[in-house]
Amino acid sequence: MARFAVRRLAGAAAVLFAVSVLVFVIFNVIPNADPARQLAGRTANPQLIASITREWGFDDPLPEQYLRMMQNILTGKVISYETEENVDERIVEGIPETFSLAVGAAAIWMFFGILFGYLSAVRAGGPLDRGLTVLAVTGISMPVFWLAAILLNYLAYELELLPAGGYVGFTENPLEWAQHLILPWVTLAIVYVGLYSRVLRSNMLDAMGADYVRTARAKGLSEHRVMTRHVLRNSLIPIVTLFGLDFGALLGGVIVVEGIFNLNGVGQYAYESLINLDLPPIMAITLFGAFFIVLFNALVDVVYAFLDPRVKLGSPAR
Amino acid sequence: MSAGRQGSEPLLRVSDLRVAFATEGEPVRAVDGVSFELAAGEVLAIVGESGSGKSVTAQTLIGLTRGPNARIEGSVALAGRELLGAREAELRRVRGERIGMIFQDPMSSFNPVYRIGAQVVEAIRAHRPQVSRGEARERAVELLDSVGIPDPQRRVDSYPHEFSGGMRQRAMIAMALALEPQILIADEPTTALDVTIQAQILELLRRLNRERGLATILITHDFGVVAEIADRVLVMHGGRIVERGGLDEVFYSPRDPYTRRLLDAVVRLDRAPPLRPSRGEPPLLEVSDLVKHFPVRRGLLVDREVDRVRAVDGVSFSVARGETLGLVGESGSGKSTLSRAVLQLLEPTSGSVRFEGREIAGLSRRRMRPLRPAMQMVFQDTSTSLNPRRRIGQIVGEPLRVQGVASGRELRGRARELLERVGLPAAHYERYPHELSGGQRQRVGIARALALEPKLVIADEPVSALDASIRAQILDLMTELQGEFGLTYVFVAHDIGVVRHVSDRIAVMHEGRIVEQGPADRVCERPSDPYTKKLLAAVPVPDPREARARRASSVP
Repeated sequence: MARFAVRRLAGAAAVLFAVSVLVFVIFNVIPNADPARQLAGRTANPQLIASITREWGFDDPLPEQYLRMMQNILTGKVISYETEENVDERIVEGIPETFSLAVGAAAIWMFFGILFGYLSAVRAGGPLDRGLTVLAVTGISMPVFWLAAILLNYLAYELELLPAGGYVGFTENPLEWAQHLILPWVTLAIVYVGLYSRVLRSNMLDAMGADYVRTARAKGLSEHRVMTRHVLRNSLIPIVTLFGLDFGALLGGVIVVEGIFNLNGVGQYAYESLINLDLPPIMAITLFGAFFIVLFNALVDVVYAFLDPRVKLGSPAR
Repeated sequence: MSAGRQGSEPLLRVSDLRVAFATEGEPVRAVDGVSFELAAGEVLAIVGESGSGKSVTAQTLIGLTRGPNARIEGSVALAGRELLGAREAELRRVRGERIGMIFQDPMSSFNPVYRIGAQVVEAIRAHRPQVSRGEARERAVELLDSVGIPDPQRRVDSYPHEFSGGMRQRAMIAMALALEPQILIADEPTTALDVTIQAQILELLRRLNRERGLATILITHDFGVVAEIADRVLVMHGGRIVERGGLDEVFYSPRDPYTRRLLDAVVRLDRAPPLRPSRGEPPLLEVSDLVKHFPVRRGLLVDREVDRVRAVDGVSFSVARGETLGLVGESGSGKSTLSRAVLQLLEPTSGSVRFEGREIAGLSRRRMRPLRPAMQMVFQDTSTSLNPRRRIGQIVGEPLRVQGVASGRELRGRARELLERVGLPAAHYERYPHELSGGQRQRVGIARALALEPKLVIADEPVSALDASIRAQILDLMTELQGEFGLTYVFVAHDIGVVRHVSDRIAVMHEGRIVEQGPADRVCERPSDPYTKKLLAAVPVPDPREARARRASSVP
């Protein structure tokens, strides 16, 4: 276990380093991204730009600039070139909204993804399976921005059942928190419900042909028990991998859905910074997102070893 | 051994059982009018080759043949109660509680994610919900103990992958017996096991039959296994029973020509091949002190070698031109690693391999390449060693194309000739591997190995996946080709009977070393090494009288 943790930490550090270098280099080779010009504002004259360049060290060698940037990000002192506000503080402000969105959507998609996948597999070939297949493909095919617009139009503006975006903190009013988030949750979850139910269905159909399922029946187990304890249990293992990666990616910010539903989360901040070619927040948010992906990758491995006793943590790959 | 008590109501009566599967064309009649009875306490063997309908028959008895495509007719009566068409709840009570079943592959027949004990407990509590978990667990420990699993208190908490194949099959039997059923259906229970383990499992089944009066239906393709254990025998072919009778009756006076053919095809340990005189030339292949170790690496950040698996641990042998060396060993003995290391498909850790007097151990891939045509390999699993997306002709012709020997029309012509030479019609050229039977696919594998006119062919378990009658055909073909092409064989197998059938000399491998080697007759008739003796004693003899005599002499 210690060996696994040490290796994973070393791996995570390497990934984060590579990601940050890549973003930094890309930013420095694209045109029109002179940070001194951004800091100087619209009415800048060449002398001002030159003095800012000197003052902020934009003419230093790139490795030096990179190190300074990383140091500032990690100590919470990094400043946006566009708005000159503290980047790390702004990200922390966005976390509740992004996390609320990701966690709620994940709960919905896991519940319905597993339910629909299970029903499809148990009734494979029947009308229920075909109906759910159509639903799943529809869900996967609907563009998020379109679906969001439809939901907003009918449920928020015409029927006025739910608020049209915005956010209320959970600690302030849990009910309103949920009301504000239902539409974004559903919008975000639908694609995943479709995807997960399809994957689970095909895993289960494979498992149903397995020898151990025949053994379970030969023992005289009830059909329900065969399906849940043997078929479903073993088919969920690959779902865990998918979930870890998808969920980890969402925690780093959900750009489109946050934008449409007016949630001031990390994704929204990432979007604004990209539009403005604002390097410090782009770097910080990329690292923030990459951190969760790396973290959940490691968590998936831990959960995997728990779910499948044949997997041993930290044994070298063959 | 209480065979066929006349007059009493049979425990199980199967009458005119028919199972048909709907397909796009004609329905496939897997079981076509099968009738038999099973008396309490008897061992009934159902023998047949793959596709004979024996496994479908067994599964149908306990209602495991399912699906909308299956049509089942006839009658299966358990102690007078009809099972076909019974409600699922009633069938469930029969399964496990009155009829237990075990299967061929004990690895895949346990759910890999649950502990062995938990799976036994599950079987008990499915039928006796009032039994507490703790009580069921104690019962599981008792059961594991009764089938001879050492240290059952601890082993009950092991996962299936932590058990060896033989232990898994024991545990499987324990689970099937959890509720003391009257009937045990064993579907090829020893086919996936090594021969010494097979002997132990058969002994266990015999003991359970004797001590508990457990009626057993044994499904198998192996007459050796039948002779060891059965009271009565049914022979199935094409979904029908073609022969039935007491054990000795079927073995010594078979009536049906198909049964006679099956019995003739059984490769027997005591049938020696014609001896080839040695010609006193230098050997074609000379292996000395060959070692292949696999390091076990572990470390915090950087892997260091902490241990090594000694798969091949100092092996020496030589093979003369035109000779066949049989390499026998059980799974894990290192025989497959050895054949790969000899061909430089695995780099040997140390030692020497001389081919035609030239050292090839440690040669680079590039320098090995021109030598490859002279040494070829035939593999065990024909369903995976032939590319499923390529036509037979392309598969056989590929070595010629790769080595630049032939191309275009000439290549196709050569491939057709090769196919005909191994007994396949040239019309098979355009077919895909899945359209051929197992025996035909192995012929393709042999044709491919012969394409480059090799001097040495290493055959790794070439017939162990095949039915007995096909096995004999392939062995005959290999012997024939050996004379015609002047081939030298290294014949690797776990079945010493098969090896003796084709080999001039035999080397016995155990735990990475050769424990005994010598002329085939000498090794089989006067073995000197204790392991060889054990191996020979475990081989089931397809002769009931001999099997009885051997058992009688070995009983303490």
